[in-house]
Amino acid sequence: MNQSQDEPFFIGWAAPPDLLRPFLAGVALGLLLLAGVFAYLVSATQDDPGDGAFMGRAVAHGVLQTDPYPVLHVVESERYEPGTPLILSGNGKIGVRDRASKVDGQYVRAAGTKLERGDLSGLQLANGMNGLRPADGAIPQIETDDLGRWRLTGEICDGKCLIGAMRPGRGLAHKACANLCLAGDVPPVFVATDKVDGSEFFLLANADGQSLGDTMMDYTAIFIEAEGRVEKRGNLNIFFIEEDTVKVIR
Amino acid sequence: MAAMILLTGQIYLAVGALVALPFLVVGLGRIDENAQNTWVFRPMLIPGVLLIWPLVLWRWIVLETGRADEPARHRPPLTWQPRLTLTLAVLLPFLIFAALVIRQDGPFERPAVQLEDGL
Repeated sequence: MNQSQDEPFFIGWAAPPDLLRPFLAGVALGLLLLAGVFAYLVSATQDDPGDGAFMGRAVAHGVLQTDPYPVLHVVESERYEPGTPLILSGNGKIGVRDRASKVDGQYVRAAGTKLERGDLSGLQLANGMNGLRPADGAIPQIETDDLGRWRLTGEICDGKCLIGAMRPGRGLAHKACANLCLAGDVPPVFVATDKVDGSEFFLLANADGQSLGDTMMDYTAIFIEAEGRVEKRGNLNIFFIEEDTVKVIR
Repeated sequence: MAAMILLTGQIYLAVGALVALPFLVVGLGRIDENAQNTWVFRPMLIPGVLLIWPLVLWRWIVLETGRADEPARHRPPLTWQPRLTLTLAVLLPFLIFAALVIRQDGPFERPAVQLEDGL
């Protein structure tokens, strides 16, 4: 077909031939339906992110323990029940060990943003002395109870995102974030498939009772089986994980 | 391993420099008549030649020996396109469903087992 020099090449949005109209309408509707079905299938295969969330400002007074990770055992607070253990973290993906070690074992005032997921609570500390400082008050004895040696199945998460800083704060999709948090010394939490002494959440430590460091990063965010001693410190379970017993569940 | 990668990169760039020198001084004028007797822009091509010197060398040889078939340069992607489209149409859903099948899913109810009593 010859085209004259003056005739524009662009044909504009030509009307479709009558014969093609039903076909095109069918394709358009089919694609819409397919998009909906695909969106449903993708979302239906995702795990429920749970009810963890930031819960606003909070102040708590209590006893601070630094090892294996900084935890505040609440004595007095308007936002937490007395005896609640708070997993402490800083802004972003960092822990607060440096600040906490200066007031280890002391009665302190902690302030920041409340994190809560079920019966697990945390506090993202405000910066500087506003976030953490010594306070006046009697230091209660934090009871320690050896619950024995256990084989647990579950997932290693970071104790900030899991409690509500991110949704989802667990699972494979969250693995890189969890590892960054653990590298920043945010306390790791083991979420077990079964409860021990009433709780499925365990603060993690290595078999010597020290912080994990970066030894478990290959095992975060996936289901693993591990053995170790479990201790109840205040109202918080601590799992002293024996690294040579860790197995990925297939 | 990192040292090995670094050494490989250094060797690659060094060979690129060996290609760039004769190509920019002699070869460029021979394969592109528009570049003849023009010199100022040639140093600006050095970084590019260092990076893609195998391609430069290959095109230089093809053009120098008169085997260049310019229209043919645009044909291969077009001839491969239908096969590639079909392959991706099969492969992508397969990958998605395979990932869904082999991904870890639980166990969510495995009991905790006490191995020893507490002290």
